[in-house]
Amino acid sequence: MIEFLEGNDAVVRGALDAGCRFFAGYPITPATSILTGMMRAMPEVGGVAVQCEDEIASIGMCIGAAMTGQKALTATSGPGMSLYSENIGLAIMGETPLVIVNVQRQGPATGSATKGADGDILFMRWGTSGGLPLIVLSPESVAECYTLTREAFDLAERFRVPVILASQKEVGLTRERVDLDEARDAYPPPRPRDVAPADRPYVPHAFDQPDDVAPLSPIGGPHLVRYTTSMHDERAWLTGDPAVIARMMEHLRRKIDDHADEIARFDFDPDEGAETLVVSYGVSARSAREAVARVRAAGGRVSLLVLKTLFPVPEAAIRAALIGIERVVVPEMNLGQYAREVQLLADGREVRSVTRMDTELVSPDDVIREGGLL
Amino acid sequence: MTLGPKSGAGAGPLSYLDEASLPLPFCPGCGHAKVTHAIDGALQILGRPKERVVVVTDIGCVGLTDRHFDTNAFHGLHGRSITYASGIKLADPDLTVLVVMGDGGAGIGGAHLLAAARRNIGICVVVANNFNYGMTGGQHSCTTPFGGVTATCHLGNLEAPLDLMGTLRPSKPGFLARTSVFADDVPALIARGLATQGFSLVDIWDLCVAYYAGQNTLTRNTIGDLMAELEMPAGVHFEGTRPEFARAWRDLYHPVETVDDEGMCLPPPDVGLAPVAQSALAARTGILIAGAAGQKIRSLATILGAGAIMSGLHATQKDDYPITVLTGHSAAEVLISPEPIVYTGIEVPDVVLILSEEGRTRVARKLAKLPPESRVYVEASLGPVETPARVIPLDLKGAAKEVHRLAVGAVGVGAILAAEGIYALEAFEAAARSLQKQKVADTNIAGLRAGAALAG
Repeated sequence: MIEFLEGNDAVVRGALDAGCRFFAGYPITPATSILTGMMRAMPEVGGVAVQCEDEIASIGMCIGAAMTGQKALTATSGPGMSLYSENIGLAIMGETPLVIVNVQRQGPATGSATKGADGDILFMRWGTSGGLPLIVLSPESVAECYTLTREAFDLAERFRVPVILASQKEVGLTRERVDLDEARDAYPPPRPRDVAPADRPYVPHAFDQPDDVAPLSPIGGPHLVRYTTSMHDERAWLTGDPAVIARMMEHLRRKIDDHADEIARFDFDPDEGAETLVVSYGVSARSAREAVARVRAAGGRVSLLVLKTLFPVPEAAIRAALIGIERVVVPEMNLGQYAREVQLLADGREVRSVTRMDTELVSPDDVIREGGLL
Repeated sequence: MTLGPKSGAGAGPLSYLDEASLPLPFCPGCGHAKVTHAIDGALQILGRPKERVVVVTDIGCVGLTDRHFDTNAFHGLHGRSITYASGIKLADPDLTVLVVMGDGGAGIGGAHLLAAARRNIGICVVVANNFNYGMTGGQHSCTTPFGGVTATCHLGNLEAPLDLMGTLRPSKPGFLARTSVFADDVPALIARGLATQGFSLVDIWDLCVAYYAGQNTLTRNTIGDLMAELEMPAGVHFEGTRPEFARAWRDLYHPVETVDDEGMCLPPPDVGLAPVAQSALAARTGILIAGAAGQKIRSLATILGAGAIMSGLHATQKDDYPITVLTGHSAAEVLISPEPIVYTGIEVPDVVLILSEEGRTRVARKLAKLPPESRVYVEASLGPVETPARVIPLDLKGAAKEVHRLAVGAVGVGAILAAEGIYALEAFEAAARSLQKQKVADTNIAGLRAGAALAG
């Protein structure tokens, strides 16, 4: 069925089809239509949606609900991400599957509430204490708001970790012609939660290899479940033993970082003989695609790498795309955040940042001119 | 496994504590040990299966208690235990959910306490209230009495203490009671809280022997005097009968409304926007509509885009409006193209529609930069427009008067579709019928036709 939908609408559909049955949120432009959409959608499928007193309660309720076995979603914008920060750490510590949508707006602080930017890209990765990894995905279109929301729920279950969908106003509140039935039909059924067997003792954070992920047992189910924000061992008992703590830290890091290739989602569009590579993500990737098309139409050669997974950084994909490349151009709607990640992998190649944080899209012309593509 | 509460004392487990984890870790003489045993006693009175009980705590000395319960246990961030408990209860309303927090958690999580009581969500909150932050060395809390001495008010506290009963009572929750760890009624009061359908809170005054009690000569014998002095007496302070939130939400929200405040159908109709016509549009066309808030510009732009899709075209829509409503500007960009749209920006608008002074002011900079080949359709009463583009003044308001005050935008769109030949009027009409309730669609279609006649 062809529809004319906003990215935020598609997030709601993606969440429904992923099996999400719990939503808690707080109104904030430009994410509010996910809250109102979920308020309408959840009752139809027997789920629950609630507006909370603040963002801290929103993510707190989602973590509680997730531990009873629900797939849970919350959505906000930059100011709300600041208030989510401490509980994102809790979800990492307690290995809670959870999906967070950040419909970014131009910032800092209140910023331009009704205007877009990708100013929170590094904040989403590093915005909680302790520095342990989580997963960040970035949609560039309404259709991808659907598919990457589906991916986000599956990855959250697979790795028992919060997954952040890095949307922004220019994607979340832009309407496009889209056929989500096609997207749904093309997508595998939602990943069911890995549930611990009822007839065996339950160890909430069990692992043999450091990157193993333990199945969950729901609070209220057959086992007595323990959950804690404090440093704990595999059984969720408090520990101060440095050897145990080191082992748990290695587990929380390696269950994500060792699987970066499994988590990596990207489009690579190589151009034979190209010495310039454009790396982009989110709505700026659309400007990059248009710019690359114009350059090629004018006889120029340029390769394009569009990243859907931002964290863990798809290092293998970036390194492969860099083969034969002399110069990298990274357009993004901030002051040059992800360009730093690319720089770390570029082995001394020139990395040129094409940035805009004035609420306007980076235009194809900006990419061509400032990137020196023609 | 039976999920309902078992009847009568002693029908459930003999103890809800994990005997292997004892002794409790509290300072000798600290009231938190009594609170812990009182909770165990209350759970015994209730007799629910351990698997259906959740003890939720947060940071603070009394937050150490959850690990000693042989039930589900959730130990979360400082002051946020009520949020986790609320999520657990909302997801599984039949669970018995108990929150154990200190006065520190009640202070930093005050918004959650107020919200939970107003919602009347079915969780039982036990506050082990010892008038200071014991875990961090005895700083003052929201319940430290006026004049009380702590590490952060060594000459006396200048803040009035929070009265949990008086603060929460106006919300009319399920059950509110105050007692002290030295009273005999603590297990019974907690059991009454746990048995309450809605929100309950038991405020248990407690001695921090390490810090507050010694510095302020508070003892088992003087705790009653403090209650009298502060006019915060022990006893049951409120019993209410409002419906419990988790169940009430389910009861109320299953009927789903289908129309939002702009008249857009929710959820979208099953037929979608299947083509009803084929447009011969050759090139990407950027349309900028600028008017005033209240002119229904966003929903009009959606119908304009949907009409393009029903003509076999591609479309995107972006809105520009202030965070206030019904005042100031409202503008929308609709991009229509025979090809899939990659870049969603409109570098140079081909067509601009100006409906009001607010709209003209908003897009003034863009108007000044337009090339001569762009077209600007403007409500004639607004006077001259400063732009190099071709200006087409039309009596949009006059034509709209015959239809509806809110039809001025539809009149403008009708004029554009007729004059520019972007796609057939029938497709716009079909889009309005698909996406809007009948009365709104009728107005927009009548406006569209009036506008087309105006342009023709």
